[in-house]
Amino acid sequence: MPLRRATLLVCLMFLVLTACDSEPEQPQRVYRHAIDGVPGSLDPAHAANIYASTLVVNIFDTLYRYRYLARPYELTPNLAEDFPQVSDDGLVFTFRLREARFADDPAFSDGRGRVVTADDVVFSIRRHFDPVTRSQGAWLWRDRIVGLDAWGRDGADPEAEIAGLRALDDRTVRIELTRPYPQLLETLAMALSAVVPAEAIAAYGREFAVRPVGSGPFQLLSLDETRAILEANPHFQRDPLDLAAEGFEPSLHARYGLESLDGRRYPLIDRLEIQFIPEPTSRWNSFFSGRGVDNLMVPPEQATRVLSSIEPLTFQPQIERDFQTYAGPETGLVFYGFNMANPEMGHHEDPVRERDNRALRCAIRDAFDWQARNEVFYHGLGEVYPGVIPPFLREYDAALPRDSIEHDPAAARQRLAEHGWSAERMPSLVYGFDSTIERRQMFEQFRAQIADVGYPREKIRPLGFGSFGEYHRAIIQGEVDIFLIGWTLAYPDAHYSLQMFYGPNAAPGANLFNYANSDFDALFRTAATLPPGPERTELYRELNRMVIDDCVVIGSLTRTRLHLWQPRVRMLPDREVLSGFFLRFVDVQDFDS
Amino acid sequence: MSRRSARLDLVLRRLAGAVPLILGVTLISFLLTVYFGPDQTYALVGKNPTVTEVEQLRAELGYDQPVLVRYMDYLKRLTTLDLGHAHSTGESVRSILARTIPVSVLLVAPGLILGTLLALGLAALAAWHQGGTLDRIISAVSVVGMSLSLVVVLIGLQAVFGVWLGWFPVRGWAVNGPIDYLHHVAVPTLAFMIATLGYNVRFFRAVLAAEMTSEQVRTARAFGLGPVRIMIVHVIGSNLLPIVTRVLFSLPLLVISGSLLIESQFGIPGVGRITFGAITSGDQPILMAVVGLSAVLFVITVTVADLLCRLVDPRVHQR
Repeated sequence: MPLRRATLLVCLMFLVLTACDSEPEQPQRVYRHAIDGVPGSLDPAHAANIYASTLVVNIFDTLYRYRYLARPYELTPNLAEDFPQVSDDGLVFTFRLREARFADDPAFSDGRGRVVTADDVVFSIRRHFDPVTRSQGAWLWRDRIVGLDAWGRDGADPEAEIAGLRALDDRTVRIELTRPYPQLLETLAMALSAVVPAEAIAAYGREFAVRPVGSGPFQLLSLDETRAILEANPHFQRDPLDLAAEGFEPSLHARYGLESLDGRRYPLIDRLEIQFIPEPTSRWNSFFSGRGVDNLMVPPEQATRVLSSIEPLTFQPQIERDFQTYAGPETGLVFYGFNMANPEMGHHEDPVRERDNRALRCAIRDAFDWQARNEVFYHGLGEVYPGVIPPFLREYDAALPRDSIEHDPAAARQRLAEHGWSAERMPSLVYGFDSTIERRQMFEQFRAQIADVGYPREKIRPLGFGSFGEYHRAIIQGEVDIFLIGWTLAYPDAHYSLQMFYGPNAAPGANLFNYANSDFDALFRTAATLPPGPERTELYRELNRMVIDDCVVIGSLTRTRLHLWQPRVRMLPDREVLSGFFLRFVDVQDFDS
Repeated sequence: MSRRSARLDLVLRRLAGAVPLILGVTLISFLLTVYFGPDQTYALVGKNPTVTEVEQLRAELGYDQPVLVRYMDYLKRLTTLDLGHAHSTGESVRSILARTIPVSVLLVAPGLILGTLLALGLAALAAWHQGGTLDRIISAVSVVGMSLSLVVVLIGLQAVFGVWLGWFPVRGWAVNGPIDYLHHVAVPTLAFMIATLGYNVRFFRAVLAAEMTSEQVRTARAFGLGPVRIMIVHVIGSNLLPIVTRVLFSLPLLVISGSLLIESQFGIPGVGRITFGAITSGDQPILMAVVGLSAVLFVITVTVADLLCRLVDPRVHQR
């Protein structure tokens, strides 16, 4: 009798589980994409990191996007029909929208997605200045668009007109700037600027972040902490893919089999699964199992398992045979920063001490060995260069002297001696890091090198933080004096990295170093209004030299990304400039039938 | 007083006694995880925020309130199950828990049931052959099991069954039916069993071995009863109290905390995973809900275990 009961129970369990089978039948062309973090909110107003951005630019439309294959990155119209008409003074931009529809959603009165209008564009930018939105992107347009800041301050009345942000008709948007803003179009390619329907915001409130409704190439089917499932948006209509216009170069791209995609309408897949896998081993295992994700950005610690040589960079023959491969630089940089607000080693009102402090920072910089850092922690795959303008930017200055990144203990000792920095006089400095084994090892390496030039070990004190968020907070609040940070460029312009040193951006802004230099600020303000060209490039380089000369940072290094993907997938993956536009052009060849 | 009303009285007294316990546990967990926990202001604010924006956000997050006000608000939310919205995603915490708790239960239940049964079986074998070779082998295996790092076990099982043999998915929870379920739950169950087996076997063996020398077991042997019957009826049956208590104490872990490491490594969207995410990002509404509900559930479990012990063995009440 008990046996019968147990059998019945098992049968019942199976019935219950079978009843749970609610997922629709699998479509045919499925691409499974892995990213190494979890997106928080999918509301464009919060999409400030690469993980959220990857999804947002595929669920929503931005006015502009980057060409698929062109490097350096180049803008191209997306929801905008073309590049805008710009007034002679560079202050008034007129955008014409192409025809597009939002995906079907119960938020719309008849459940059917309506046409995207100029009012939606106005609404999407305007809501960043409504305190209710809790925007992470308002800084992009603050003090830039006529009347926009005042509209937010005055209560964000939805009926009120904003002089500098208007819909002229259903398909025309006019933006009037307070001063020239050469990066405006780049900001309109960022996920933060994506176009949202007001109905969905009203219907879902804060839950819009997990129930996004947009007019992008995909629409969200399901979302949890481990993956998002998207399917092609049937309303999405764009001109067929023009590979040449996207920057296709046979010498660079022929090996990826992309020619077969030319002239086809996108998106090219029915279903896109984006899996969030922060654990490197799990990502690795999923890819190499052959039944998991279709791509892998190789974790740095596993690089030697896929490479046969670093110089020149070559993948192992078996890896080349079994997978598609790509290696390229990240659009970001890693460097050490000093807290200049600490008078013990930063800015000081006494000019003599100010000079001494500078010498101290420069000595620490001279003592640090980038070569060793690159070899031990990045397998020699990083590129080290002076300053904060990375080589992938047009404004990079290849002629810049490299002494600021060379390990020179003798020069460090000399600087210390010349400015009277004895072991007793050297200040105690707090070295902050988020508490991972790797970060602790980096600290030990740093301290050993600094100690080698006479800095007492006990005066470089480690301070670990449980999470990156806490570490970031501690930097902002000046609790640490030396810190390692990574900075990812959200648009390919040196303005994005140089803003880190602009005085008015001091912490909690991007200027985490609290660097205050009136000459720098004046020059930055001038450069910020100039269009791309030799004059601006020269100013950018001058600003970069100021940062180097003042020893505000020790840097920098740009890591090399190693990408692998299954040969059945036709694509060139791209994780950079906070985008994920390439996913609309991904195709799978031998898909499940 | 009738026996029934005496029991009701006992239940009510135990539940009333649980209230200060819940208050104490929630206060400590509130202080540790919320008041002294991570500050999310700078994770939620944009790149170059104004002072006003930072102040507005802090006020919205409740960071500008005194600790007592925040704790009272926390208790009120917990009592009314108005758990708010996650800071990071904006999703309602109730819907997050409703989505993730069933996944964690389905994930951990087989491991808990099978692990307990297997541990009991091995402990019974070891206790029956006390001091013999089998006992020594089982004890050695238990010690090895206790010594193994769960992370190593997880990575190893994933590599062997997912990558090398390819029998089971490496990660994910695409469960559309019973076959899918078994497919996805097999390796995590094995991991859970390996992780808990050593501790359970050691505990159960100690309990059962002590009973093996009792009068009733000697009498049962004298009557010529078989070893299975002696073990189940007279040894395990007489020691239901510690066994039930131990299993009950695993339930809060099962229902609320989930299995943090297993869910993270296998990419399973359970409550353990969201807890881990909330800890690292400092998402306080989720943390407050998980920690608070865990505490309440734990106190309820202790109370229920206590009541069950009294029902199963009236001597407990007399003592």
